[in-house]
Amino acid sequence: MAELINEKKQKKRNFLAQKYHDFTFATKNAIAGYLFISPFILGFLVFMFLPILESLRMVFSSVVPDLEQSRYVMTFTGLENLHRVFFDDPEFTRLLTEELLKMAFNVPATIVFAFFVALIINQKFKGRSIVRSVFFLPVILSAGVMLGLETSSGLLSEYRDLIQESNALSTGITGVLEELLLSGGMMDEFLFYVLHIVNQIYNIALVSGMQIIIFLSGLQTISPSMFEASKIEGATAWESFWKITFPMISSLILVNVVYSVIDYFVSSDNSVMLKVTTEISRMDYGFSSAMAWAYFLIVISLVGVIAGIISKRVYYYE
Amino acid sequence: MKTGIRQTRSIGGNIVVYLVLILFGAFFAFPLVFAINNAFKPLNEIFLFPPRLFVQQPTMDNFYDLFTIMSRSRITFSRYIFNTVFITAAGTFAHIIVASMGAYVVSKYKFPGSRLFFKVVIITLLFSPHVTAIPNFLIMNRLTWVDTYLAVIVPAIAMPIGFFLLKQFMDTVPMTLIEAAKIDGAKELSIFWRIVMPTIKPAWLTVMVFSVQNLWNARATNFIFSEELKTLPYALGQIIGGGVQRAGVGAAVTMFIMIVPLVVFISAQSNIIETMANSGIKE
Repeated sequence: MAELINEKKQKKRNFLAQKYHDFTFATKNAIAGYLFISPFILGFLVFMFLPILESLRMVFSSVVPDLEQSRYVMTFTGLENLHRVFFDDPEFTRLLTEELLKMAFNVPATIVFAFFVALIINQKFKGRSIVRSVFFLPVILSAGVMLGLETSSGLLSEYRDLIQESNALSTGITGVLEELLLSGGMMDEFLFYVLHIVNQIYNIALVSGMQIIIFLSGLQTISPSMFEASKIEGATAWESFWKITFPMISSLILVNVVYSVIDYFVSSDNSVMLKVTTEISRMDYGFSSAMAWAYFLIVISLVGVIAGIISKRVYYYE
Repeated sequence: MKTGIRQTRSIGGNIVVYLVLILFGAFFAFPLVFAINNAFKPLNEIFLFPPRLFVQQPTMDNFYDLFTIMSRSRITFSRYIFNTVFITAAGTFAHIIVASMGAYVVSKYKFPGSRLFFKVVIITLLFSPHVTAIPNFLIMNRLTWVDTYLAVIVPAIAMPIGFFLLKQFMDTVPMTLIEAAKIDGAKELSIFWRIVMPTIKPAWLTVMVFSVQNLWNARATNFIFSEELKTLPYALGQIIGGGVQRAGVGAAVTMFIMIVPLVVFISAQSNIIETMANSGIKE
């Protein structure tokens, strides 16, 4: 009897193996693909996708939390929340345009800065690993130090205010230069941009740690034999930078642009996000979800446009 | 053939490189140096205005105070440390495995729906955790995971940012490498473990640094309510919450929390540098 069952099992297994064998290459690939990705999809659906859908439902509802039973009651109200966001709220549209403008300044600067730093620290020099650690410090520290700063009384915020006051008096590092150039009639948009960056350099440096690491690991994937070959062919360092380094790293520029935009938009000191969190803490869930979604849709269309433009110019190495 | 191409940088070039490095390095190191110095400052120096970067009369008082407060807490302090270490280790390990497996097939297998899925992942990157906090809590509640480690660990496994970074790095691995292994008779899992993972070691080390930093600093106040399951940053936050007189202890705490992600990064980053040079991506 047991033998019979075993035989049956064996047959079934053979049958399955045969069936798997008969599948086309593409189907086999797909099966393996789905098996590999299923844990991630599962987690992703439950902990990212479902909550997001739920918050989308909140956009079109008035949400009354029922704290006793830890749930909430939603009633459909249509576009009312969105209307409140764009037409009734005095702050939202102003904050939004401000943040978009700031982003347009900061993201390109971050990318250029990160690329520049990554190129420098990818070179061979003494103490390289120490320097690399130093440049990643802000990413490591931000959360930990912030924890200390936020909670350790009002002391540091007082410092900050005092520093800001003294800065306002002397109008920043570039104030004198700005006046000089203005009186010389040389002030145009680009110059203003450059000066703004110089004033912002510390903030930019602090948010570019991750981008530097991404660029750096990208630079290390370029095989040295390419540079050797181009050197033998007589290319200068300048030429091999534009013909090898830059195309090889271009896909990571796209990654970094997307990363920077996202990082900038979800950071908690972004004034729109700040407003959303205050509305959440006031338990106005429908309104805050509507605000978050309006904000999100604007950003995603922006990212889409930027990514579309850049990805046309990206070179993929096969 | 052109001649006279320099093989090494000139002395002038070296000086410029070092100058730039020192300038930016000072920028980056400033918060760390400030935080470390603060930890050793006596209380009167912490409140000095204008603030001084370097400590003048170093003292260990802040640390003694920290340990006295720790030893007086109801739950032994080692429990808080265990909680955070466990959450960080388990979450990071599982995240790297699960996200790499997903990223690998999305990048290299291109099965039906993979592109769509990747797009959805990118889109969800844009959602601040604040937005999904409430629905997330309700889901945890329904799973009865509230007040367990799972509520912190499992969502961290499915973090889209790690998946995104890994997928982008997988794209740079040549398909020929995988095909060669397949022709030699390697099974899917062994290709993944023995070829893909070693090749993208810098990528997952980067993701590891990122995930450790995220989980190590997790306060998890939304999901964890029992005192014995609370995380280290939460407990330390409570200590600092004592007010102005705890400013010194706060500085010590800040340094304490910084050290682990810092050590993880420093040990990982030497690997990030070494691996890619001989990773087999040579045509």
